[in-house]
Amino acid sequence: MFSGALFKQSMKANWVKWTCVTVATCAMLAIVIIVLGSLAINDIRDSLKSVFQDAEMQSVVQENAIDGYTLSDQTLEFENTIQTNQYLTQDMADVINSVFWANAVSGYDTAIDELEADGTLATEEEKEAVRAELTPSLAETFGGFLPMLGMEMSDDQLLSFADCFLRAYDADGRQVNDPSDENFVDGIKRIFESTYLNFLYDTAYQTEYDAIYQEEMAKEDAIESEVIEIAEASALVQAQGARDIAEKSIETYKNPEITLPEDLSILANEIINDYLYDQVYTESVNGGMSDTDARTTATAVKVMSNTAISTYEFYLNEEDLPLEEGQTQEEYAKEQATRSITDQIPEDVASALEELGNMDIYGLIIGSIFYQIAGLLLPMVYVIMVANGLLAGQVDSGSMAYVLSTPIKRRTVTVTQMAYLMISLFCMFALVTVTSVISIWIVGGDAFAINFAEILLLNLGAFLTMFAFSGFCFMCSALFNRTKHSLSIGGGISIFMLVCTILGLFGSSVVPAAMRIDAMNVFNYVSIITLFDTVSILNGGIDFLWKFAILAGIGIITFIIGVFRFDKKDLPL
Amino acid sequence: MEEKEEVIKVEDLTKDYGNGHGIFDITFSVKKHETFGFVGTNGSGKTTTIRHIMGFIKAQKGNVQVLGMDAWKDSCEIKKYVSYIPGEIAFPDLYTGTAFLKAQAELLKLKDWTYANTLIERLQLDPSANLKRMSKGMKQKTAIVAALMADKDILIMDEPTTGLDPLMRETFLELVKEEKQKGKTILMSSQMFDELEATCDRVALIFDGRIIDIADINALKNSHVKAYKVEFKNKEDYQNFKRTKYKIIRDQEKYFQVTVQIEDKDINKLFKSLTKYDVKFIAEVKFNLEKHFKDVLAKKGGENV
Repeated sequence: MFSGALFKQSMKANWVKWTCVTVATCAMLAIVIIVLGSLAINDIRDSLKSVFQDAEMQSVVQENAIDGYTLSDQTLEFENTIQTNQYLTQDMADVINSVFWANAVSGYDTAIDELEADGTLATEEEKEAVRAELTPSLAETFGGFLPMLGMEMSDDQLLSFADCFLRAYDADGRQVNDPSDENFVDGIKRIFESTYLNFLYDTAYQTEYDAIYQEEMAKEDAIESEVIEIAEASALVQAQGARDIAEKSIETYKNPEITLPEDLSILANEIINDYLYDQVYTESVNGGMSDTDARTTATAVKVMSNTAISTYEFYLNEEDLPLEEGQTQEEYAKEQATRSITDQIPEDVASALEELGNMDIYGLIIGSIFYQIAGLLLPMVYVIMVANGLLAGQVDSGSMAYVLSTPIKRRTVTVTQMAYLMISLFCMFALVTVTSVISIWIVGGDAFAINFAEILLLNLGAFLTMFAFSGFCFMCSALFNRTKHSLSIGGGISIFMLVCTILGLFGSSVVPAAMRIDAMNVFNYVSIITLFDTVSILNGGIDFLWKFAILAGIGIITFIIGVFRFDKKDLPL
Repeated sequence: MEEKEEVIKVEDLTKDYGNGHGIFDITFSVKKHETFGFVGTNGSGKTTTIRHIMGFIKAQKGNVQVLGMDAWKDSCEIKKYVSYIPGEIAFPDLYTGTAFLKAQAELLKLKDWTYANTLIERLQLDPSANLKRMSKGMKQKTAIVAALMADKDILIMDEPTTGLDPLMRETFLELVKEEKQKGKTILMSSQMFDELEATCDRVALIFDGRIIDIADINALKNSHVKAYKVEFKNKEDYQNFKRTKYKIIRDQEKYFQVTVQIEDKDINKLFKSLTKYDVKFIAEVKFNLEKHFKDVLAKKGGENV
């Protein structure tokens, strides 16, 4: 079934072609990988990516600034209310107590005293149970009282506010319950401040928690316990931030060195700018930045914040804004104030640019362009020429007569020639593989965008693709007696498929949408090179496996057809 | 003549390529130690017949056997006994003649180069030359060496003398005769009557895919019937001679010439008769194969008309 002499003859006849093609392909591949690895081809992509990241960060800063500004402004207003409200004066102490305060605190005092009658302190759980019992009626009381202070709240908020109030009262030591005490009203104000801070904290926590929870759970591979953890951590940061800002606002309000402006929002703006400045500065210094750099960054953020707030203010006071349906003026103002560069360019251009930024340029050049097209071209030329020369060429010229006039079966001839084609191709790709591994090792090993496992699979895929083509060309060489037929069918269809893959590249998903012409994708359906799924390999999928099996199958079947057909046909020798 | 073993046997072989091309009902056999020739014009079917014998083509109809084996099915086994010089000389993609001969020897599992070297010397071949740049004659010589060096029992040669210069042709024909003396069975085709006449025992004429005639050279050479050309000095004698009973196969009135066919035993009678006439000259017309086949074809043409 195998003739060593014939194999040697085929080797002698084709080694020059083999060497040229192998060396050229290896050199091309090495250059591609080394150039890609050392010239930092990703720079443009990275800067494009950073534009989008910067823009997004800017939006986040601006949004935070506006949120903080709103929060600070509200806190200042609240503080201003309780400090200047006509009802909250020592003169009104008895009235407040009889109308509202006694109701609010006596129930709680009684319940806690009962719990502590045995001499032990009430635990937090017991207190929480008491609060839960009392909050509904207390919320109702607040519902009647708070409007007098100029605060409007929903029922849920009132429940939360009542709970916060009891906690603040408890934390203060439950001392504020004697209207005749000259500090009674100050105590009330103090407890209201604490209540307000608690309330802000709870609200911010709950809002952030809900938002993150929903966002994370919407993801495909969400695990609830992890999501809860993430949401809790984020909510904690948000809630502390909110309380910090509120405390800072109250502190500023009370600072005797500061003259309060008529419009408290001006103060709120300053507070937030300073707050963000301090935060960014501290974080930058902690992050290892020099003092000057940290100041510069912090100043930049401060300016950004100031601009955003000014814009926000401007739109809040503007009339006749083009509001969308269901959109409040605050939402519109915020949207305008947080617009980034990327929001200003048309949406499809922005998404195209963003995709360009996220494009896997190594996968495109090495996977799709080299392994699917450029790297296949020379081996394909080799396969077309050699497959033809192994049978059809020798039958056409007549030199096959010398082989077949010796005691060698036709089957032996075909099997030997097939073995030569497969082994030479295998050796070729073995060298290409070695070249690719060495090249990647030179440019950084597994740190390179394409790791060793992926490059091995790409080489295997390229070999299997060429195996399928070699089977096909070999079959044509066995079917036809004429070189011109064997070449035009075997070679023609092979080259046609390669050309289709080149055209199909413009319609394939590896090309960014801006350059992609979806209709061109039809070319991919007529080329078996598409079965060499580089995208699946580079994305860590497993789809490529069954496609590999099909390629191997095509090769094996065509080889077998060639071998059997050659046994039976007439040879013009 | 004793009945010898039939080495190559072709019966009713038919391969119809359409449009009248192909071979039809070819039947012949080559006996052991016999040299058999094929002669015919281009496209008459010599090569097609040989390809069947070599097992390169499957017969549509009929039966081809070599040493009792089926030429198509047992093609590989048969090759152990057959050497072949193809009609079209094209070598594998190797660099020099030596490389080719070596590769061929490997395929043949041939170890002994003495005979090959003798052949190379006899044919004055320089095998170290580049195969691609060889002249037609050089290539032919290389092909001859490649086939003969294996020293197998049966030699099948498709127009082996094409491209050889006249001197080389002589050398080659001598080689063939030597092979024949060694006891080989030889089948060769040619367009040249003289070389077949010189080497073959029997020659088949193929015309339009059919065997028209198989001539036994020895029988023809040793024929008892001979032809003589006689020219007379005057018309009178010429006309008188024509009235006699001799068999005249050619008559040229312009020159007062006749060609007489006569059996050897009647030769004295002819001479006696001729003494009565004024004869300018008398010459024996040499037998040749070409003439024989021309006669056959002419006769056949006559029949068809």
